[in-house]
Amino acid sequence: MDVTSILDAQKAKQQNVTVEKETPLEIDAGHLMVSDLNPIDEESYNENLEDHLRALARDGTQALLAALFSLPTQKSADGPLAQLPARTYQLPRQKQLPKPKPPTKWERFAAAKGISHVKRDKKEWDEERQEWVNRWGKDGKNRRVEEQWLTEVKRNADTDHNPQLAARHERKERIAKNEKQHLANLARASGSSASGPSSRKAELEKSIATTRASTASMGKFDRKLDGEKKLRGVKRKFDPAERSVVDEQKSALKLIGSMDSDARKMRKAPRENEEGSVNARKAIRFASKGKGAASMAGGETRGKSSFAKGKKGGRR
Amino acid sequence: MRPLTEEESKAVFTKLANYIGKNLVHLIDRPDEPYCFRLQKDRVYYVSESSMRLGISVARPNLVSLGTCFGKFSKSGKFKLHITALDYLAQYAKFKVWIKPNGEMPFLYGNHIVKAHLGRITEDTPEHQGVVVFSMSDIPLGFGVTARSTVDTRKLDPTAIIVFHQADVGEYLRDEETLF
Repeated sequence: MDVTSILDAQKAKQQNVTVEKETPLEIDAGHLMVSDLNPIDEESYNENLEDHLRALARDGTQALLAALFSLPTQKSADGPLAQLPARTYQLPRQKQLPKPKPPTKWERFAAAKGISHVKRDKKEWDEERQEWVNRWGKDGKNRRVEEQWLTEVKRNADTDHNPQLAARHERKERIAKNEKQHLANLARASGSSASGPSSRKAELEKSIATTRASTASMGKFDRKLDGEKKLRGVKRKFDPAERSVVDEQKSALKLIGSMDSDARKMRKAPRENEEGSVNARKAIRFASKGKGAASMAGGETRGKSSFAKGKKGGRR
Repeated sequence: MRPLTEEESKAVFTKLANYIGKNLVHLIDRPDEPYCFRLQKDRVYYVSESSMRLGISVARPNLVSLGTCFGKFSKSGKFKLHITALDYLAQYAKFKVWIKPNGEMPFLYGNHIVKAHLGRITEDTPEHQGVVVFSMSDIPLGFGVTARSTVDTRKLDPTAIIVFHQADVGEYLRDEETLF
């Protein structure tokens, strides 16, 4: 019983499991990627493109699968999982490199003057107390006046003068000023799209213009207050008068074509009634004598019991 | 003077199509010379290309009229056909109504056409269809809108209105100031 011939026949039908190429295929299992760096075979490319591409893809996939099956595996609920190795091919950056921030107002000034940055520490040597004190934070020097239990006041000072509150107010002002400058720097860095007061002014003017047109006559006949500028409408753009007549004819014919078509957008009137169909609106109007469908509901008994309202009908 | 926008063209063409239907292409695509529509001060003019190019050199406040005035746009954007368009409507009309000699004068004074004055009407005229009114000697007198279809007209009594008056040639005398 010689089965080798049958096996050979079967094997001949299927394609080769191992892939042999001039330049071996580069397999990056980490990315599940196969790179084929062989030069393109001109004959098969020109002969039948689809088959050529399919053959290339098949070879690449075969090589990738062979590589995947040779990876170390790990057991899991769904079966053995192959552990992909580290990626070798470097993908390009997804996003651009971050743009450098524009210098702040102080940085520009310092650069112009040649002032270099001096790094200061949190603790400072206080000669009087002969110890290191915090410049800010817990027991900081910036809060000394507020927190001390006794403050000397000038002889001609106001009776209401509270040195603690005054010191606190000053500190808060310094903080607020710093915040404002910081926000201004950020706004400048973000492209100065919304420069504080002018953007607010533009917003206000826009809402005033909307309000002026929100009257019953759309702002046309309202009296203007002193100091109000004239409302400017949007300037419409039209085709030039010397536009080519041939172009115009073409667009007109196209418009007529769409008018005649059954397309819903162009149809102004409802489609003509098919034969035998009833115009429900007219029928209801006729049957209810102009009162509408609601009056017809349960109207049989009402109609018969109500007395005729003729010239002399109804209540006397 | 400027060309019509899409919406304005649509309004004008729908109005014209009501009277002349498919023959609208004859207005746009003419064999002799290309004609175009132009808008000047809310009025729509049908003008040949050569006249239009001459008219471009006239300043806008000085330009009174050019070509044939077909109608004008109201303040709310509705297009109204004027009697000055009658020549073209009569040429390409789909549905026509002929009135008897004794019915001509009432129509020319601006009244609607009653059945008693009806001479002939094209067959299968639907209701509310734009029609051109002719005298029995085929002189165009104006245009209007049918009140009833042809089949319903037969059942009406002689004093019923069959065509609503829209424009008549008497307007050349009555509305002299506002027509052009």
